[in-house]
Amino acid sequence: MTRALKLYEGLLSAFALIAGALLVWLMVSILISVTMRNLGLQPFPWLFLSGEYGLFYLTMLGAPWLVRKRGHVHVELVTAMLPARAQAWLSRAVAAACVAVCLLLAYAGYELVRQDIARSNFDVRAYFTPKWWLTVAFPVSFGLMALEFARFAVGPARMHSGEAGIHE
Amino acid sequence: EDVLSAVHAFPETLVYTQSFLDFVDKVNEAGEGVVRIEVRGGPEAIGMFQQPEAVRNGVVDMVYTPGSFYAGALPEKDALVAANVTAAEARAAGGLDLIDEIHQEKMGVKYLGWFDSGVSYNLWTVDEPMLDAEGNLDVSDWKLRGNPVYNAFFTEYLGASVIDIPTTDVYSALERGIVDATGWTQIGLLDLKWDDFVNYRIEPDFFSTDLGVIVNLDTWEGLSEEARAILTETALEHERTSAEALAELRDEEFAELEAGGMQVVTLEGEAAQNYLDAAREKTWERMRTQMEKHPMGLEHYDALIEAFYDPSKDPGS
Amino acid sequence: MEWYWALALLIGSIVVLMALGMPVAIAFLAANIAGAWVFMGGFDAVVLMLDNGFGALSRFALIPIPLFLLMGELFFHTGLGARMFNAIDRLLGRVPGRLSYVTVLGGTGFATLSGSSMGSTALLGSLMVPEMQRRGYRAKFSIGPILGTGGLAIIIPPSALAVLLATLAQIDVGALLIAGVVPGLVLAALYVGLIWLQTRLDPQGAPVYDMPPVPLAEKAGLVLRDVVPMAGVMVVVVLMMLFGFATPSEAAAFGALGVILLGLAFRCLTWEALTKSVTGALRVTLMAYLIVFGSATFSQLLAFSGASSGLIDWATGFDLAPLWMLAAMFLVLLLLGMFMEQISIMLLTVPIFFPLAESLGFDLVWFALIMLLALEISFTTPPFGLLLFVMKGVAPPGTTMRTIYTAALPFIACSLILVALLVAFPGLALWAR
Ligand code: NA
Ligand code: NA
Repeated sequence: MTRALKLYEGLLSAFALIAGALLVWLMVSILISVTMRNLGLQPFPWLFLSGEYGLFYLTMLGAPWLVRKRGHVHVELVTAMLPARAQAWLSRAVAAACVAVCLLLAYAGYELVRQDIARSNFDVRAYFTPKWWLTVAFPVSFGLMALEFARFAVGPARMHSGEAGIHE
Repeated sequence: EDVLSAVHAFPETLVYTQSFLDFVDKVNEAGEGVVRIEVRGGPEAIGMFQQPEAVRNGVVDMVYTPGSFYAGALPEKDALVAANVTAAEARAAGGLDLIDEIHQEKMGVKYLGWFDSGVSYNLWTVDEPMLDAEGNLDVSDWKLRGNPVYNAFFTEYLGASVIDIPTTDVYSALERGIVDATGWTQIGLLDLKWDDFVNYRIEPDFFSTDLGVIVNLDTWEGLSEEARAILTETALEHERTSAEALAELRDEEFAELEAGGMQVVTLEGEAAQNYLDAAREKTWERMRTQMEKHPMGLEHYDALIEAFYDPSKDPGS
Repeated sequence: MEWYWALALLIGSIVVLMALGMPVAIAFLAANIAGAWVFMGGFDAVVLMLDNGFGALSRFALIPIPLFLLMGELFFHTGLGARMFNAIDRLLGRVPGRLSYVTVLGGTGFATLSGSSMGSTALLGSLMVPEMQRRGYRAKFSIGPILGTGGLAIIIPPSALAVLLATLAQIDVGALLIAGVVPGLVLAALYVGLIWLQTRLDPQGAPVYDMPPVPLAEKAGLVLRDVVPMAGVMVVVVLMMLFGFATPSEAAAFGALGVILLGLAFRCLTWEALTKSVTGALRVTLMAYLIVFGSATFSQLLAFSGASSGLIDWATGFDLAPLWMLAAMFLVLLLLGMFMEQISIMLLTVPIFFPLAESLGFDLVWFALIMLLALEISFTTPPFGLLLFVMKGVAPPGTTMRTIYTAALPFIACSLILVALLVAFPGLALWAR
């Protein structure tokens, strides 16, 4: 059990690390293609494409990590007005609702991947990229986000602080 | 009464959307009490690249979109891109029935009609283009605004650098000299105001627009006999009239552009033929490569080329 | 379903979920699921919504934002930003609120050329706000001007959004851009006046400290060592965009590279500064883009369900005097702007508003300018203006949303005054014709 947990923690951090690396890659890939262009060379089309896809992947891979860091903006209004016990109850209920939303989206993501494979869909830009290479990020990301929200729903940590305002 | 929900790929003000809305009006008039199309909006209602999937899934019943937006599912659409005939001619040659059959089999949608055909593309440049000793276009040190439809032609044949820029940003890219030239359809430059910076139009024109109406197949088969007849007849008529209307509009726009100082540079003889051949061959090559990846393979390749390309129409012959 | 029920369902569910404390991005997604189910018919539409989210995120147009963020975070964590502001502080001597003026000037230049209010808010917010706070500036003197410059940028040419609007509405792009120049200068003057007034009303908010006069030689040294290199990076970025050497995304990448090189030159680019910068940029990018992901589909549902067109038809359906009609349209734009991004709003309203404006006898260029101002105001309007969230993301910890709202309001008021001036004196915009 602890090994599985360690593995999971490792996965979450690895994804966040990849997201950070992709952000740096955005910069590097653009620098390379501008340099090539001004040397009179034709920049590799995949440089441009890796930026666009990178943006998508970094959002999806980083999102579960941001849930853990409580980094998604939320408003505290009702939670701030409630007495402590009701507040804790509501906080868990909201986290549970987030779990439900993310689970449904993870399932929809799985369905999308299945469809993309069955229809052999391609994302057509500079190349024909099999669509499921991209959409596969959905079930993974929303699945992990569901797990992270579940920690706030049943674990000791709370998502809400009880202070009124918008938190991030 | 049968009701079909519909969306269109481009914003409402664009001339091609207006043409589709015209078709919708005709259907609703002819089909009163039998069939009605209810337009739900354009890219603000469903993203333009999601619309083909939306009609396949039945989220909407009808979509007006370029085939290029679902090139991954149906590479055969390149037959329309490389076409040099109008919809009426392609239909007479059996090409559109074949395209319909492929749509039904590969995507589960009915291909109702190819509208606004006969409009093709030009290369529009800011500076006067250089011609080499043989009269070929020499733009190898230029930066061209590209997109997946013409990048292969621009880079491999013309040897130019290509920068992908969304349509909405092309105005400022031309303004700041980020690109020296752009491909665009014969119509629409005035609406986009690119003529503020573009001064030359290169002839001959190449490619063709590939805008068509697709309908979810289950919806189509669930329609009454009468509704299907009205839709088909109206579509056939609109294929013809829209091509005529746009040809007229093109001539008007060309005249207006030329009155505003646009100059025309025409490639001659063999240079023109090579230019057109390259545009077409690159497109067919892509179609062939992508078709080979599908289970259907190259089954209809030759028939498509036969129906959508008429060699006797080229300037060299 | 009647349009008002659709509107009530979509907006009601998001407001309730957000009030209960659901993260904004997840609330959007939840409302989308409900909306997709009801208006588009079931689970297939939820699947389509994910596909749409992919399309909304993998757009090159979004790339400048993380890169400008990275640039700002690097300025901050390497201490280069602090160096520059120390120098400017000493150079400007005793002018109260001096850094606020610098922000208005620099921010306008920057936002105008980057073409992205989000990217520019991200950069200036992470660069200026922590520095100014450390020097004892209250939030209204740092956050306010930054949020204000977005409104300026959208009307002073070049403005990508102005070009897009002119294109969609089929009016003269050049005329719209020129029409923005004088109102832009008026708005800048209003901002300067506002800051002056605020420093008068609240002298403690922007500290004046006694500073020993700086000898000329030292002044020159300060300028050359601590201002020119840092400001130089910004200037190079702006020039690259201005002279067509690079698109905004490319210029942003060079800006980040420039700060890295400066960090190496000044020996302040530690591994810690680098990782902190990337982490910081990543956090805000993720936060903002997941909201973009959710709101992209949300605005489509408003359109698809007929809610937004119903609202527009209703608001414009009263047979009112032209001025009231203008007010109604302005209000609709602000209302939509709370939940939708600017391009969707344009796509939605242009086909209805422009023919209407024409029938009311408005000059269309003048009307387009007012529409642009409404769009930018809505971008910073509490409670949901996206720029406010971006600012929240980059501002120092402990900055409350309330602080950001109060800082934004006086600058929004300036934009509203400009709108009123444009209504009273259309010549401000139309003098060139
Ligand atoms: Na501007
Ligand atoms: Na907004």
